[in-house]
Amino acid sequence: MLEGAEFYFNVDHGYLEGLVRGCKAGLLTQQDYINLVQCETLEDVKIHLQTTDYGNFLANQTNPLTVSKIDTEMRKKLCREFEYFRNHSLEPLSTFFTYMTCSYMIDNVILLMNGSLQKKSVKEILVKCHPLGRFTEMEAVNIAETPSDLFNAVLVETPLAPFFQDCMSENILDELNIELLHNKLYKSYLEAFYKFCKNHGDVTAEIMCPILEFEADRRAFIITLNSFGTELSKEDRETLYPTCGKLYPEGLCLLAQAEDFDQMRRVADHYGVYKPLFDAVGGGSGGKTLEDVFYEREVQMNVLAFNRQFHYGVFYAYTKLKEQEMRNIVWIAECISQRHRTKINSYIPIL
Amino acid sequence: MAAPDLRAEVDSLLLQLLQDLEELEAKRAALNSRVEEGWFSLSKARYAMGAKSVGPLQYASRMEPQVCVYISEAQDGLQKFWLVRPSAQTPEEVGPREAALRRRKGLTGTPEPESFPALQDPLNWFGILVPHSLRQAQASFREGLQLAADMASLQIRIDWGRSQLRGLQEKLKQLEPESA
Repeated sequence: MLEGAEFYFNVDHGYLEGLVRGCKAGLLTQQDYINLVQCETLEDVKIHLQTTDYGNFLANQTNPLTVSKIDTEMRKKLCREFEYFRNHSLEPLSTFFTYMTCSYMIDNVILLMNGSLQKKSVKEILVKCHPLGRFTEMEAVNIAETPSDLFNAVLVETPLAPFFQDCMSENILDELNIELLHNKLYKSYLEAFYKFCKNHGDVTAEIMCPILEFEADRRAFIITLNSFGTELSKEDRETLYPTCGKLYPEGLCLLAQAEDFDQMRRVADHYGVYKPLFDAVGGGSGGKTLEDVFYEREVQMNVLAFNRQFHYGVFYAYTKLKEQEMRNIVWIAECISQRHRTKINSYIPIL
Repeated sequence: MAAPDLRAEVDSLLLQLLQDLEELEAKRAALNSRVEEGWFSLSKARYAMGAKSVGPLQYASRMEPQVCVYISEAQDGLQKFWLVRPSAQTPEEVGPREAALRRRKGLTGTPEPESFPALQDPLNWFGILVPHSLRQAQASFREGLQLAADMASLQIRIDWGRSQLRGLQEKLKQLEPESA
């Protein structure tokens, strides 16, 4: 679409790109992590975080400090930054930001529906919803009993509406159907996001498309791994795989037939990008899990996104890197609060 | 009772008591490590799934127990603790079964013919496709449960053993001055 982005990009988006690069410089460094790992209590963690970009974000928290509170406050801070970017953005960056929030919206919808299965009050769940995925119709989600209900009554006006094409059914929403709905919505969302980036072309497509391809393949692998030993049939499993990745179409067919981890590994061995990842997975309970390996790869790709200028990928990459940082801090905090320090260094350093 | 017999009995009781104590300590250490592993696996699951996906939002405030404790009395009057699964309701009890279905599905439709509400695996509260760490957590906690029941039985035995021992030692003291 807009070839030669270096001529036009800064007119509309230069300020925000500069801002996000400044924010990226505020991510925790290796030294920060070393300091955090040496903390004895969560109060120490709070004190150490005050010296970083986080500042006094925990100042208003009542005692006792819990890991959940730290996580909630970190999310709020990320949301404030994101909303600032979003409010100052112009098209097509605004649509890009909307696409980014859709994944959090899907997570919130599923959280609300699962909560209603467990007879939780809507207020209780709304407090724990991801702030980036907030939308006005959220409170009405729990009244829906089938996916068609959910679409027609609640979500038809939201950005999630186009992703409901494959999900419409009259099945009652129990745990299995909610899980299927979750994955199908996410699959449609990812494919739509991929198409948007590809149509935009230019550097954005060059950076975002490989990232989204990796996300699609990662979903396929993780869904397969977690489905071993469950009631999910192979045919159902295949309908959940996003098709915008490198595995499409042969890899996905093979993956749908896999019955254990080794068969999955053999599928991955056909792809030069994924073979080294699977080789890095440690056996048993000692080494890295597949999720860890995938998170590392995601961090690598996101850090590399900052090497190019004049594209929207920096915003996506910054948000994802910030999320990894939050995961790291929560992990370290949990190890400290449970006094189980053997694996405290399993975080993924970013800078 | 003659003193030597009594002494032999005291000895064997003491040995049994010490053995039980050792077993209790071993089981306690195992329980602690299982519970610790369980909580740690939950943290790993939170890392993989998201911090709010494994927490108080996912379980109801009222739960049906998966495992019940059943107390039986052995011949020597000692109580033993067993872990049992509460048996599923028989099909003739239509009333409570319908109510249970209605609570779960929220519909006044016909109850499904194939299965009555089988005990739900709590793992499914977190979704169908859960990571391996969550399954590991469940396994650790289950093992811990079995250990807890064993420990309770052992503790009752130890208490009984101690009271027996005290009784026998009293008797011995009474006999000693006589034979002295």
